[in-house]
Amino acid sequence: MIWVTWRQHRAQILVTAAFLALLGMLLLGSAVEAIRYMSEHAPPGCPGPAVACGDLAAALGRRYDAVYSVFGWMPLVAPALIGAFWGAPLLGREYERGTHRLAWTQSVPVGRWLAVKLSILGAAVVAGGLLLSLMVSLWRPVFRSGADSTFGNIGVFNMVGVDPAAWWLYAFALGTAAGTLFRRTLPAMALVVAGVAVTMFTLFRLSDYYAEPARTELSGSVVLDDQDARLVSAAWVEPSGREVADPSDSGCPRRVDAGQSNRNTEAWQACLFGKGYRYAVYYHPPARFWRFQWTEAGILTLASAALGGLAVRSTLRRPG
Amino acid sequence: MSAALEATGLGVRYRRTWVLRDCSLSLPTGRVAALVGPNGAGKTTLMHAAVGLLRPALGSVRVAGEAAFVAQDKPLYESFTVAEMLAFGRRMNRRWDDAAAADRLAALGIPLRRKVGRLSGGQQAQVAVTLALAGLPDLLMLDEPLANLDPLARHDVMRSIMAEVAERRLTVLLSSHVVSDLEETCDWLVVLNAGRLQVSGDIEELLDGHLVVTGPDDAPIAGAQVVSASRTGRQVGMLVRGAPPLDPRWQARSPGLEELVMGYLRSPDSAALPKLTGVGA
Repeated sequence: MIWVTWRQHRAQILVTAAFLALLGMLLLGSAVEAIRYMSEHAPPGCPGPAVACGDLAAALGRRYDAVYSVFGWMPLVAPALIGAFWGAPLLGREYERGTHRLAWTQSVPVGRWLAVKLSILGAAVVAGGLLLSLMVSLWRPVFRSGADSTFGNIGVFNMVGVDPAAWWLYAFALGTAAGTLFRRTLPAMALVVAGVAVTMFTLFRLSDYYAEPARTELSGSVVLDDQDARLVSAAWVEPSGREVADPSDSGCPRRVDAGQSNRNTEAWQACLFGKGYRYAVYYHPPARFWRFQWTEAGILTLASAALGGLAVRSTLRRPG
Repeated sequence: MSAALEATGLGVRYRRTWVLRDCSLSLPTGRVAALVGPNGAGKTTLMHAAVGLLRPALGSVRVAGEAAFVAQDKPLYESFTVAEMLAFGRRMNRRWDDAAAADRLAALGIPLRRKVGRLSGGQQAQVAVTLALAGLPDLLMLDEPLANLDPLARHDVMRSIMAEVAERRLTVLLSSHVVSDLEETCDWLVVLNAGRLQVSGDIEELLDGHLVVTGPDDAPIAGAQVVSASRTGRQVGMLVRGAPPLDPRWQARSPGLEELVMGYLRSPDSAALPKLTGVGA
């Protein structure tokens, strides 16, 4: 059965492995080059927060952005591809070609056939996702020591930790279930792409509620100094302590800004702070990284189990 | 006489339509059985139920020992080589005779390293049959094994199967809607019509037990059990079971297999089922 699984799905396995290897080489090359650049060009004490380090940080930033633009689309596209090429054909193609009537009439029972395929391919998908996460996690700190954004940037957040594995597994299960639903590969692929996009959007919206947001009151600035935090909402606090969405009766003149300038808004904010207003920010601090990772991974894993169960059930119940 | 395949009160439906109703059937071991009936009679459904590809709504169907099945379009993995198809069979079956399969393919001149998708239709059918036989089944079921094959390939496929039957105790059930395909090779007949079982029995006994009689349409038919009748002008041709009508104007002769099958298919209410399997039919 293991050989059969390998033989039928080796194209997907090999292409995915080759892609990960290629990405790994790209990241390794980029990191090595960046480290060499730093050792040659970094002033003493850099990289760090010192002013002298600005040029170095900018140079590293350019390098980072160049490579990131190559695989920045991965949090969305990689799961979609996994679902479309690993999940959708698993059962969809068998039905489409009628080969399920060959595969399911051998001595090996249908249940075992499916269990072996789902567990081997599912494990491979999880391993692939974890490998991606590991590579990205090793590569990023070379450029971003001190100013990390693995939490606040949702794109990066979905590429590190356990989330890539959970996303890949979810897409695989979604594709498999879609394959039994349509009994065709192509519509199942389309459903996977749409499903992954919708799920990602939904979870992005939902992630604000993974935990009770932290609250802090700012005076003098409306910008949270922790750049990696996830902003949930904000409001003005009157001197009396009451929170208002829009401080209209403050007496501060608010003029409309023209073009790119936000001079008028800043003046209005300064006026408010001068009158004793404070700015309340609700946010998730970066310390919640793992809590959010596991919450999202948990949701996706549960969904994968449900979809996998659905695929197993419909395969065992009404084959033919 | 033990049964290689036994169905009891088998009923299968797709959504609200019954495609197989109250089907009770016992196929003796060692027979080569022809499963015939018009398109949509339920032949494929009966086979799918027997190999577990679908679950019956009512009753049960049981195969004694290992069953091998070749589906109608003879599905194979087209991207596999012939050798890989054999490896697939070896790994998916408890029993497997690799040497016999390789020998058979060599004798047929089918190269092991060729991709299945690049074989001719006849060769693909041979690979599918070879795979089924290599699992050393007790019952081999073939759904329309000869459809889409040219006459030469038909002959070759049938010869492969019959050679295996001659060698060991193998029961074969093969379906077709063309009776003449099966006339020379089969010794048991099963007729399905509109989801109901009409005939199940030894072909020789069935032929011996029926007569085709012709006579004027005003001749009395007393004494005969008429299966079906057809009129041409003032003449009537009838398929009767058992003795011919008493009136001497009737002329009787033995039916051919095709006449027998057609006679039953024309009158779906007639049935020729042994008592053993006729329960409830």
